[in-house]
Formats: sequence, C-alpha cells, structure tokens
Amino acid sequence: MKSMASVEAYLEHRWRRFLVVTLSLTALLVIASLINLAVGSAVMNPLSVFSNGLHQIFYSRISIEGYRVERLSSAIIVGVALAISGYLIQSASKNPLGDPYLLGISSGALLFVVITFLIPVSLFSLFVLRPIAAFAGGLIAYLLTLMIASKAGMTPTTLVLSGVAVGTALYSLSLLPQYLVLRNIHRIFIWSQGSFIDPSPQGCMIVFSALIASFLLISSRLSVINALNVSDDVVKELGRSPELERKIMTFTASLLASLTVAWYGIIGFIGLASPHIARRLLRTGDARLILPSTVLVGSFLTVISDAVAKSVFYPIEIPVNIVISIFGGPALALILAGMRQSA
Amino acid sequence: MLEFRGLSVKYGRVNALRNINLRIDSGFTAIVGPNGSGKTTLLKALAGITEYEGEIILNGKPISSFDPVTRRKLITYIPPYTQAMPDMNIGDILLVGEGISRDKLEHYVKLMDVSNLLERRVWEVSSGELQRALIARGLSRNSIIYSVDEPVSHTDVKYQLRVLKELKDISLRSKHVLIASNQLNPVLRFADEVIALKKGSVHFFGSLPEFLNEDIIKGLYGINVKVVRINSLIDVVPTID
Repeated sequence: MKSMASVEAYLEHRWRRFLVVTLSLTALLVIASLINLAVGSAVMNPLSVFSNGLHQIFYSRISIEGYRVERLSSAIIVGVALAISGYLIQSASKNPLGDPYLLGISSGALLFVVITFLIPVSLFSLFVLRPIAAFAGGLIAYLLTLMIASKAGMTPTTLVLSGVAVGTALYSLSLLPQYLVLRNIHRIFIWSQGSFIDPSPQGCMIVFSALIASFLLISSRLSVINALNVSDDVVKELGRSPELERKIMTFTASLLASLTVAWYGIIGFIGLASPHIARRLLRTGDARLILPSTVLVGSFLTVISDAVAKSVFYPIEIPVNIVISIFGGPALALILAGMRQSA
Repeated sequence: MLEFRGLSVKYGRVNALRNINLRIDSGFTAIVGPNGSGKTTLLKALAGITEYEGEIILNGKPISSFDPVTRRKLITYIPPYTQAMPDMNIGDILLVGEGISRDKLEHYVKLMDVSNLLERRVWEVSSGELQRALIARGLSRNSIIYSVDEPVSHTDVKYQLRVLKELKDISLRSKHVLIASNQLNPVLRFADEVIALKKGSVHFFGSLPEFLNEDIIKGLYGINVKVVRINSLIDVVPTID
C-alpha cells in the first residue's frame, strides 16, 4: 500500500469493494427471487417453478408456475425502474430526499390512470392511452412540485413538502372516481396501493422497453451525472448545459416511475432508499459504481416485499406498498437524521 | 497574450463588469478590488462559465471561436468551495470531469496532503481540506490559463504559501495564472501584474511596483494604507486614522 500512489490505491480499493458489494447484492437478489417463487397459495420448489414456468409461458399456457415467474419478473423490473428514477431525481435536484412518491410523481400518474378507467376498455385504452396518461400525470405533478418548491426557495425540505402537498391533493382526487363511479373498487384499491397481483406481461414489456431506452440514455452520461453531483461549473467544463441535463434526467425519471404506476400502482421509498443504501455500501458517490448496486437493491426490495405481501397473511393478499412503507418510513427517518449531521 | 476587448457582464439589472479592455502577458496576475467589484465574474467569464458581451482573445484567436470542449480544456477555473451532494467523497470530486492528468493528480494530491481524505465525504472534511482538494484537481488539468478564485480563503498559512508558490512556478512556464483575492499580502508577494477592479471597471492595471502606491490602494478600497517592505517582502498594512 505504502509504495503505491495514493489515488491509484484509492481506485483499486474502491474497485475491490465494488466487486464484493455487487456480487453480494446479486446473491441476495437470487435468494429473494427463489423465496418469491416458492411462496404463495402453496409452497413449491422454486427451481421447478422457474423451469416449468418458463416452459408454460413459452407455450402460452396458463399455469401457476408461469404466473409466479411473470409476477417475479414484474417485481424485478419495477424495482429497477423505481431505483433508477429515484437516483436520477436525487442527482438532478441535488437533493438526497428525491423519490418519485415523495415528490408527487406517482400520485399524478395514478390520478390520470384512474381517469382512463372511466373510458370503455379497449386495446387502445389499455396499451396506448394508459401509459401516455400515466406519464403526463406524473410529469405534470413533478413540474407542479418543482414550481411550488422554487417559489418557496428551493431546498431539500421545501421540495419534499411541496411534493407532499401536490401528492396528497392528487391522490385524494384519484379516490373520487374510484368511490363515485367505478365498481370493482377493492381490486382498484389493491392496484393503487402497489401490487404485483396482476403481472400484466404487456405492462411488463412497456416498462421494460422504457428501461432499455433510459439505460442507453444514462450510460452515455454517467460522467455528466457525476459532474451534476459536484457543481454546475464542472458540467460546463464538460461542454454540457446543466439545465438541459437536468431536464433530460427529470423527464426520464418521471417516465420510469409513471409507467410502473400505470400497471403496478404506487410503490414508495424504493427510489429514495436504493441509492442511499448503494452509496453507504460502496462509500462513494461515483455514478458508474453506484448505479449497478442501486438497481440490485431496488429489485431486491420489491421482490422480497412482494414475497411478504403474498404469503404472510395468506389467503389475504396485502398491497406491496404497505409492506414497503412499514420499512420505508424508518428509512426516511434515518436519512433525515443523517442529513442533520451534514448540514 | 490574453486580451479582453469590451468585456461586459450583466446579472439582471446589475452591471457586474463594464467594458473591460486589457492585454495580459503570461505570468502571475493578481486581481484585487473591493467586494462586488467583479473579480469572480472576470474569472468566470474567462472560463466560459458566465455569459459575456465583448471578446476574450488568446494568442490572437477569439476564445469563442474554439469548440466548447477544447475551450474548456485550455482554461481551468478553480473555485474556492463547492456545494456537492452530501454523499460525494473527496476522491469522487478529484476524479470528476475531463482533462485531468492522473500523474499530475498523484503529484498534487501529495503536495496538498489530500491522500488521507480520499474516502471522506464532503461533509466530513473542513472547508480548508475541501479547498485543497479542489486546488489539487484544478492544477492536474493541462491548461494554458488557470483562473483561480480565492485560493487562500480557507487554507491555512502553510498551504497558502504552498499553493501560491506552485501557481508561480506554473506561471513561469509561459502560462497565464489569474488569481482573484481579497488577501493582498500573500498574493501580491508572487504577482507580476495587478488588475484592480472597482464597481465593475478597471481602476488600475500595471506591474506590481506601480500598484504598490499608497494613493492607488487608498483610491481602490477607500482606506488609508502603509506599504511596508521587509527585505524583499511586501506588507500592505491598513492604518487606523
């Protein structure tokens, strides 16, 4: 160590920790996935659920194994999407409290999706109107939050308070048509509270496509994200416009979170907690190292929460968001306590 | 040769810089003047961080004619502090951005004694330690112009001397080092030329011996001063009347 130059030693140390953390998180995700596949209406051997499930899906046959595999895939993809969304919001707003749920995006998306339920169901309303409405609702809600926060003097706290104000109002509005017009209210309630009970393969594919697009977008600007986390001057040093980069990231984050809401309802705290856990584990803020772990933590959290949601009170299934919020609340409290130190 | 031609900067309705016309040779140039006189604005306009009217010309070519990436490689702006995300650590800050030479970085990390701070998060270091890291990062870029804002504002006396001596050495390799500071004594000790700004205009521009005139400094800050010389050291001492 002594003979090695210090920056080189730091980089090597960091790289070694990255490998250990990434491998451990991958192992945890695999274990959580096996548990998720095993539990449900009956406890089954997860490996045979996996292989039979894939087989049945391939031949388009309906089976419990196929259902469990689809449900697991949805949980993983939603976890990844929410974790990236939270990470992008945190970087773009330079705010450790960034989360699509806390900042009102999820509630905005929910309201607009509920409105589409009032239209007679068709392929168009399901696969074109629904994602567009979700994105529009999410983006409008976030822009509203940003507007109110900048009027109140933009700080991490005013941003979150504005998000709570916008989110509460829009969420309550979304309840109105549910009570007044829509019949299957129990099912809509479960969905709106976040659930993988209906793992729509189409919804899964749409969220997945958005994920691929945002991966391509993000992977070309990891150094810009790092620069944004330091200062706008450094972003300009890279020859980029900080304002434009923020807009791109805000747009991507809103898209990912809104699309998950369109099919799987509101799931909070994943976007908030995943980047924080990744940063704590890796002890760096470098986007190139943080993102893989953020994504692994996010999908681990949704997969394990879904396993709890569908098994603990069986035959009653509880919404995933309830499970996550029970742990998410204390996580937010811990982050707030940590911020006090840094202020 | 670095030239400012009709350089003006406005922040809303405030004229931060008005029609600056200067020609500066390579070397160590101190930028002094009262608070709000436009020192930082001049450095940021030069670095392309702040929008400006007029022209900045380097060796006969307008800086605006370079492509943005080349331009930012030619000029390094070193800020006195930075408000980074709380979870960024010193190592992240050193390595962010482009044009940083790894060999130089190793050298400057050692010179500024930041080796032991690499894993500390930004809120776990003092403002002086953070500034040392920002200086190490900035000096590791291969630039022609170093635009340095208050390099001695947070650092202790040992690093103040070390930074200024290093900047002097760099300026001797036919580079431009421009340093804005409110601290006259440590900076003037190394300066070749002095730009004194007042309310966004040039109050004085010339060599160090010309600047060390009690009337000029009095006109600049509106206080009485004595210029004391101790062997080759200069001390500008404000006097209480």
